[in-house]
Amino acid sequence: MRLFPSPHRMALHLAGLLLVPAASMAQSVGDVQKGSALFATHCAECHSMKEGKHKKGPSLFLTLGTHAGQQAGFSYSDAMKASGWTWDADILSKYIANPKAALPGGKMKYDGLASVAERNDLIAYLSAPRK
Amino acid sequence: MDFFNKVRNSASWTLRASAVLALWVSGQAHALPSYARQTGMDCAACHVGGYGPQLTPAGVRFKIGGYTDSDGQEGKVPLSGMVVGSWSHTKTDQNPPPEGAKANNNFKMDEASVFLAGRLTQNVGSFVQATYDGVAKRSALDHADVRYAKALELGGKDSILGVSINNNPGVQDPFSTMPVWGFPYLASPVASGMGDAASLINGGLEHRVTGVSGYAFYDNSWYGELGTYRSLSSSMQVHLGQGPVADTNQKLGGNAYWRLGWFKDQKTQAFHLGLFGWNAKLQDDKTTTNPSNKYRDLGVDGSYQFLGTRQHVATLNGSYIRERKTDGGTQETAKINESRLNASYHYDQTWGASVGLFSTKAQDDTGSDAGTRGHLLQVDWTPWGKENSTAPAPFSAANLRLGAQYWAYGKFNGDSAQAKNHNTVYLFAWTSF
Repeated sequence: MRLFPSPHRMALHLAGLLLVPAASMAQSVGDVQKGSALFATHCAECHSMKEGKHKKGPSLFLTLGTHAGQQAGFSYSDAMKASGWTWDADILSKYIANPKAALPGGKMKYDGLASVAERNDLIAYLSAPRK
Repeated sequence: MDFFNKVRNSASWTLRASAVLALWVSGQAHALPSYARQTGMDCAACHVGGYGPQLTPAGVRFKIGGYTDSDGQEGKVPLSGMVVGSWSHTKTDQNPPPEGAKANNNFKMDEASVFLAGRLTQNVGSFVQATYDGVAKRSALDHADVRYAKALELGGKDSILGVSINNNPGVQDPFSTMPVWGFPYLASPVASGMGDAASLINGGLEHRVTGVSGYAFYDNSWYGELGTYRSLSSSMQVHLGQGPVADTNQKLGGNAYWRLGWFKDQKTQAFHLGLFGWNAKLQDDKTTTNPSNKYRDLGVDGSYQFLGTRQHVATLNGSYIRERKTDGGTQETAKINESRLNASYHYDQTWGASVGLFSTKAQDDTGSDAGTRGHLLQVDWTPWGKENSTAPAPFSAANLRLGAQYWAYGKFNGDSAQAKNHNTVYLFAWTSF
């Protein structure tokens, strides 16, 4: 049994703590219910909100605060693995707005969500507490 | 004997009526868990109502992309299976009974199919189906479409270029409006279907030809395709289960298949408009010196899908095909006009209701009409195929649809007075794994 988390996992947790304000900010300006509908329309074909359930895209369970391209069991593009991103509201918003421009060489086949308000709603949903 | 009767009695009509019947027998049913396993996506992502074959925009892109999209994980086996069982009841007993069936109230295992369906290489994918016909009790190569597709940028726009090798004009089409993939997606193998008269592009030579077409999909919107076909040899047709040698004597001459479409996916809704056609020369019997007949098939089609959050999904599909056939010997002409309009609603990608109107007018130069018209209603239940409801492990990629259809006829093969006798109730269980 491991008594202490690995340095990598500890770093993830610390990053998550530091990013809580960003997530909270998105939550405060976005509407979770509208975000849920946007997720169903734009994202759910390729992404699940269930922990560890990958579809064509990786699980989006508790994405904010994690390092991009690091989930086990999903085959990320080299570009995503090398991005060095830690998902916060700003990066997520930039990425969702135009994935191909934000991450050349990425795999996500999505044209983007142009509306800032809708992106805030979606991020509020993605950052909402989960069981 | 007038021209139309001559035509009806020709080998061409016999074959084409057989092909139409075979279409029902072999089914139009295709919902493939191997694609779901390959992509990690649920059936409902690519199919309206959580079951094939009617494609959502994601399904359209997957097909145009050559069946190759995946979740990046290796080791996926591109094999699927499918079984359809049913009970059919017609208003009056059929006399004579359909081959391999009773006069009425038939329980049947309609078909059992295996598929080689999925990504074969990075750019090559397949949809190849072999089917055991539970009524005729024989096996045959069914629909086959092997394609190469390459994604690239053209003029700064995302585009796909591809090549399809297939055995049925229209089987490669990504929209659910042409005859091969049109509603109903399943029908009784021992009832009347949409009558004997059908255009050449409506299954007239399905599985008896092989062809190649090149296509382009520009800016996720504009679709164009051009191809041509040739008849399989008689021995090859027999080898592939297409019936006795006597049924394999047609010979396809010069021909061109083409398709244009405009498609728009707005996420909450999607629609397409299109034109398609097949110009062909066809010799009824290659063992004779009879000249070839000329066919000019031209179609227009369109579809609308309200997708919303996928809780309420409604669709509207329509197509119209006009065929002009010129007899190679007499130069007399015959026309067929096929109209199809259908609408569906699905709640929670589980409960569905559909209605379809069909009309085929088959007129010779004297104005005689051997056409069929009617409507059909379908209700269905699809319990699995979506994220929150999958089949029990280890069959989590399997799917099931239970449904009921009611077919009502206003005219059947030119006869209005007795048409109602063909009215049909069809209950089916359709599973794929």
